[in-house]
Amino acid sequence: MAEEIRAEIVGNVLQVLATEGQAVDDGDTLVLLESMKMEIPVLTEIAGTLSRLAVAEGDVVQEGDLIAVVE
Amino acid sequence: MTALAARPEPVVPAADSDPRDPELRLSQLLDAGTLAPITTRDASGVFTARGRIDGVDVITYCTDAARMGGAMGTEGCQRIVDAIDTALEEGCPVIGLWHSGGARLAEGVEALDAVGQVFAAMIRASGKVPQISVVLGPAAGGAAYGPALTDVVIMAPAGRVFVTGPDVVRSVTGERIDMEALGGPEAHGKKSGVVHVVANDEPDAYRRARRLTGLFSRPGVHDPESVREEADLRALLPEQAKRAYDVRPLVRAILDTEEDDEGVVGTSFEELQAKWAPNIVVGLGRLGQRSVGVIANNPLRRGGCLDSLSAEKASRFVRMCDSFGIPLLVLVDVPGYLPGVGQEWDGVVRRGAKLLHAFGEAVVPRVTLVTRKAYGGAYIAMNARSLGANTVFAWPEAEVAVMGAKAAVGILHRKALAAAAEEDREELHERLAVEHERIAGGVNRAMAIGVVDEVIEPSQTRRRVAEALAAAPAARGRHGNIPL
Repeated sequence: MAEEIRAEIVGNVLQVLATEGQAVDDGDTLVLLESMKMEIPVLTEIAGTLSRLAVAEGDVVQEGDLIAVVE
Repeated sequence: MTALAARPEPVVPAADSDPRDPELRLSQLLDAGTLAPITTRDASGVFTARGRIDGVDVITYCTDAARMGGAMGTEGCQRIVDAIDTALEEGCPVIGLWHSGGARLAEGVEALDAVGQVFAAMIRASGKVPQISVVLGPAAGGAAYGPALTDVVIMAPAGRVFVTGPDVVRSVTGERIDMEALGGPEAHGKKSGVVHVVANDEPDAYRRARRLTGLFSRPGVHDPESVREEADLRALLPEQAKRAYDVRPLVRAILDTEEDDEGVVGTSFEELQAKWAPNIVVGLGRLGQRSVGVIANNPLRRGGCLDSLSAEKASRFVRMCDSFGIPLLVLVDVPGYLPGVGQEWDGVVRRGAKLLHAFGEAVVPRVTLVTRKAYGGAYIAMNARSLGANTVFAWPEAEVAVMGAKAAVGILHRKALAAAAEEDREELHERLAVEHERIAGGVNRAMAIGVVDEVIEPSQTRRRVAEALAAAPAARGRHGNIPL
């Protein structure tokens, strides 16, 4: 089962905290977004392997943009 | 009476019994030995019974899935109407178990009329007695709107709610989708918001219905003295003020713990619509032994911004609590309303207005606590003093930006401004405003103008909030609970 993790809010990618291919647990922070003058962690809600990371530090994401895929 | 004494008897269905048997289903909901049939199980397809939950009298109805798939005919509908009207007359909660394909086709327009009368009965009872729906199987067409008109919808894994099923959807729109994806727990728990509680299995659905019934029908009495243990709640927030966090551990830490049916001590918090519009958290729990409703911004999701859906979610919850006399605790950490074209066109103004209206008309005790920040229009919408909050607390580091600096200094430095010469006044006002803006936020100016009553230590929060809720006059709104 693959879970697509998408941006819930427009923002800048402040930090990327995970790497492709890495094992992740439910609740792990993958990326830190900056939006509304806040740092908002983007979490995975399932455990698995981070098969794709679609953003890099400095990117601007719009609401609904793909951030990562966990399988 | 403890919850333990009144728990349902463990049901071990006989090998040849039908798990869809309404009596078997209701016996798992009600306290052991309290099920007393009002009507018999027959061709009407609806079974109704009296019983107790944690010792409190309740009225129940259950569609009989073994008869024409639980389809609703005139006779069955009349039974539901009678059950709801009896509950209304006696002032007790009414709980419906749903497993129904909708109106009986063979009965034609008579069945439609009967289903409409069920809706009318639910609307008569709305806001007067708690109505809880447990969706155990398909609840299609007319049966979909039944649960949606009640206060809380709980869905078991096999529950399916939709107006038109996959076949009709495909023939009209060409979309191919199965029943679960169209109207299962994921669809309604996350996408539509129709379902308030997604249960792990059918027994869990009954457990959650029992808990919620208890929170509505055994509200208890405020006893701030009972609040003894206090944790350092500050530790539940990140050290960096900019960092987002999940607010739910804070909600659970503020509320009382409670013993469940199995005797396990855990949080008393029962979150509603947890995965839909998750940037605001709503749910019922106990504080100082009394039922309370909690509304909290969740910075982890969308930064905790208010937006179109979260405003609507909170509005309905506030009105529901008000209609049942359940006091409200509002935890505020909000950066503002979410900006965007999508939000504006989605009606963030129209739906945000619902939240203002819901708080503004509520008469139940309402206490607001600003934990970190409350900015702009969202500050007002989160039960500000101006909307009638009985008490507004803030933690020491909280920032409350209630108005522009110039307007604020106009109040704070009224005397100095009045004393200044006419030609110097504007220049002084500007200078004071710049100075005011330079000073880091804080709650002082909010206290000075009376929109924050008191700064409290995080470690005193439970006790102080319980006292404030107890001190406010108890009242109950006189209105229904329209599914906003």
